[in-house]
Parts: sequence; C-alpha cells; structure tokens
Amino acid sequence: MSWHVAETQLALFITGDLPLWQSLGVRYHLGHCETCQARMETYRADRQRFQAHANQLPPGLDWDRLAAEMTANIHLGLEAGECVTPRPRKTRLLGERIRNAAPAFSWTRIGIPAGIMAGVFLLLVGSWVLNVPPSSTQSLLRSLRTIAMGGRDHIQTMRVLEDRTPTLEVSSTGIAVRENGSQLGMAQKGADPLAVSVSAQGSASAQYVDQETFQVTVTSVYVQ
Amino acid sequence: MSRKIEFPKDSPVAVVSADWGDSNATVRGGAYLLDVHAALTLRNIGQQRIRGITLAVYAQEVTPGGKGAVSQPSLDVGPGDTFSLRIDMPLLRPLGSGNTGPGVEVTLDGVLFDDLSFRGPNKLNSQRTLTVWELEARRDRKYFRNLLETQGREALRNEMLASLSRQADRMQPGVQMVRGRATNMDTEHEIQFAFLDVPDSPVTPVDGTARVSGNEARAPRFEVRNRSMRPVRHLEIGWLVQDQNGREFYAASMPADLNLAPNQSGQVVQDTALRFRDQLAIQSMAGFVSTVEFADGSYWIPSRSALDNPRLRATLAPSPEEQRLAQIYNRKGLVALIEELKKF
Repeated sequence: MSWHVAETQLALFITGDLPLWQSLGVRYHLGHCETCQARMETYRADRQRFQAHANQLPPGLDWDRLAAEMTANIHLGLEAGECVTPRPRKTRLLGERIRNAAPAFSWTRIGIPAGIMAGVFLLLVGSWVLNVPPSSTQSLLRSLRTIAMGGRDHIQTMRVLEDRTPTLEVSSTGIAVRENGSQLGMAQKGADPLAVSVSAQGSASAQYVDQETFQVTVTSVYVQ
Repeated sequence: MSRKIEFPKDSPVAVVSADWGDSNATVRGGAYLLDVHAALTLRNIGQQRIRGITLAVYAQEVTPGGKGAVSQPSLDVGPGDTFSLRIDMPLLRPLGSGNTGPGVEVTLDGVLFDDLSFRGPNKLNSQRTLTVWELEARRDRKYFRNLLETQGREALRNEMLASLSRQADRMQPGVQMVRGRATNMDTEHEIQFAFLDVPDSPVTPVDGTARVSGNEARAPRFEVRNRSMRPVRHLEIGWLVQDQNGREFYAASMPADLNLAPNQSGQVVQDTALRFRDQLAIQSMAGFVSTVEFADGSYWIPSRSALDNPRLRATLAPSPEEQRLAQIYNRKGLVALIEELKKF
C-alpha cells in the first residue's frame, strides 16, 4: 500500500470513536494492508494492558468514598457556578453527552400567539372582576386551595364551610360582621373603640367615648 | 331602607329628633346589609334622673347579625333634659318571602334610674347590664373621690395616668365568635382552666375545661359553687387566654342563668367556639367570676381592691365610667376631672 492509516485515526478506530464513513474506509484499508493491521494489533494490546493496570487500585484506597467526594465536589462547583453566572443547563446529569444549545428563538413565532392569549386572559379577568362579587371570588379561591391541599388541612376545610354564615369578629378596630371571609360591615367605622368584648351567649360589644360630650356608647351586635 | 322608631307608651324617654344620615342598604349574597347610622335626640319625660339607657335595633330578630343594641351607661339626665345617642352598626336582613325589603326598627329595651330601678321590656337583658355598669361606675367614682380626699391631686393624677397606660397596653387580638358549630377535631385536646381567686366572690369556680385546637377554643364548661348564704340566679365568668408567647388577654365573658341555692354546685356550659386571629396559639386558659346576680335582684361585682390582682389589672378593661373619667382627664385636665367627680 502506498499510504497508511494515521496513528490518531487508528487509535480512534480501535476505541470505536471514529465516524462511520471514516471507519468504513479504515476497515477496508486494514483488510488490504498488513503493516496497518500489525500496528492495530499492537495498539489494541497496549490498550488492554493499560486498562488492566488502571483497574488495579492502589492498596488501601477506598474508591467508594473517593467517588462520593469527587461527585459532591463536582456538584458544588456546578452550583457555585450557577450562583455567579446562571445559565441554561446543557446537561441534566454528569456523564450525559453535551447537546447543542436550544433551538433557534424567534420573537415572531411566539410573540403573536402570546399576545392573543394575553388579550383573551385580560378580557376574562376583567369580565370576572366586573360581574362576580368579591366575596364569591374569595370563596372560590379558598375552595380551590382546599382542593389543592387534598383535604389534608381538615380544619381549614371546615372553616371554609363555617365562614359561609355570618360571624362576628372583634378587634382593636371594632366589631365586624363577616361572611365568606369577607367583611360586610363595621360598627362605628372610623372610630377606634376603647374596649371590645365578646359574650359567649352570642354577642360582641365595643365601647366608645365621645371626645366632645364624653358620653360612653356601647354598641352590640348579636349572633343569636 | 325603611326606618321606624317605636317606644312603649309608658316610656320615660321620648324621641325629639332622628337623623338617619347616610344609612343605606345593599344586597350581599342572600341578604341585605343594612349600614345603620342614626343620630337621635331623646328627652327624659319622667320624674327621675336617668343613669343608663339601652335601645334595641332590629333588622331581623332571628338572623345572625340581624339584631343589635346601643347602650349609654354613666348618664346623668335630669327630668326634662335632652341627650343625644348615636347608632352606628351593620345589620343583616335575609332576602326572601315575608320580607318586604330592607328595614330597621329601633325600640326601647330599658332605662335605668338613679335609684337603680328599671323600666322597659328588657328583651336584651339590659337591666342586668345597665345595673352592673352603674354599680361599677359608683365603685370607681367613690374610689377616685377617696383618692383625691385622702392623698391629694397628685395621687389622682398618677392614678389616671396609670389607667390610661393600662388601657394603651392592654392586648386585644382579633376574636371571631362561631356559635353552635363544630370544627375539625383531629388535633383537638382538652385544656383545664386555672382560676383566679377574686376576694369576697360569692360563687367559686371549682373546675373548668374547654376543647382547644390551635387558635380555636370551643365548648367551655365550668363547675361552680355558691358559697354564700343567698340563692344565686345568674353569674358571669371572665375567660382569659394565654398565647404561645406568654401574653395574656381577656377573651370573652360567659354569662349563665342558673339557680344555685346556698352551698349548691352547678354547671355552666356554652355551645360556643372562639377563633383567635393574629397567628395566636392557645397555651393556657384561666377564669374568674366577674358578676353575680342574686335571686333577690341584688348584684355582686369585684371590689376595687380585688381588681388589684396584676393579671386582672393587665387584662380586664376598665369600667365605662373609668374610661369616661380618664378621657376627661386626658382631654380637659385634672381640674375638669375633679369638677366631674364632685357632680354626684
């Protein structure tokens, strides 16, 4: 033969890393060139000796612990890199082949459908806000939250049911009548009471003092 | 919104004028929300001085939130004098057959006179409430007058400042009352009440429990004993709650009608649930007897010295009269307060 396979090509052929069309050419040449065939056998034998030697671990070496430490360090390095320069991952796990970057991005391809969907969404939200009472919205949200929690929070579930009927609430701002979690009204809006109280018999009271006449007024609302 | 003011024919007060201001009604779900705002001017058309009055305000008598009341204790209205009274409250009136639309009715529930006599229908037990307030007012006015006479103006000033400070420091977390309903009992446990000893109390709490789950307490029950020689027909227990941070506050009062003969025991049970807001978790509870009504119509309330208990001082709201006197001092000074104490 007037030409021979290059050393690098031969080495890649032995490890199976040569592209297919080059591999076919090398294989054809090896079938007709004793020199290259002998070289291939030599390289193959060397490779096997190296592999056997590499598989022998030094005495006293704990490979499992070493492997775990190396893996942890690699993960740490990757996460530190994400903190400094977050970028899209190209690999999911170590050892996976690196793929090319994401497909070509086009504003035109996604902008128009996104704009249409945003417009429809705003239209729906606006219609909901204008036509559905806020109390119903909040009740629905609570129900959805309860469903999402799979009924695990039983107390919250029961409170959703309870809050459908009017309840009384006292706080430092006075007496509030609530239904479905929404405040329907507040006694003496704008004036903070000096004291509030709840009677277990079914009423809530708030005490006010008029700052001009100093008359005391006690406002009470009854649940039952 | 229709409005109606109707007092009994023998009412000791008459309506001089009524301004309904910006009262309005809106539909909320299955009910009318009546936002009632009214300024009434009333005249004492009787022969005795009026010390307190309660008006009942009805949108619907049996609906939760359909009934309210406005009381004015610590009055001193002579025969023929006029006084003003404001009504500001939200009420609910259900939609449905039989209801002719949103409407509110104001009636007289009762008037308390200076000799502690009472007149009125008393459907909201205003006789008891007004009488207790009047007894507290007399107790506190006597205390402040004695302080002025025995220790002087500076002692009165210091006491007023301490009262204002206590009112400012007193904790009042949001409390929601849920009546007659049961919540989830998975994480519920029973807590024993501790009891504060109130000196000279004719009724002693012996035992008490409530079921607690997180920030909710329900179904309180007490066993009490009448250790006086007089039969008791009504008592009120104050309910204190301590949260996870060790802060204590007055949660609710528990009134109870029960007939206790001398040395007899009885039970006080309420079908009520209290839910506390502000991320509060109930750690412990305490109770004390705050009012006792005897069968003969007389009352017992804690003395001023009994209220010196540090826990009661920190948690119990001052009487309406003490609040009024403190505001007079705060706004108009010590001289105005002394003038007020001298009136009666």
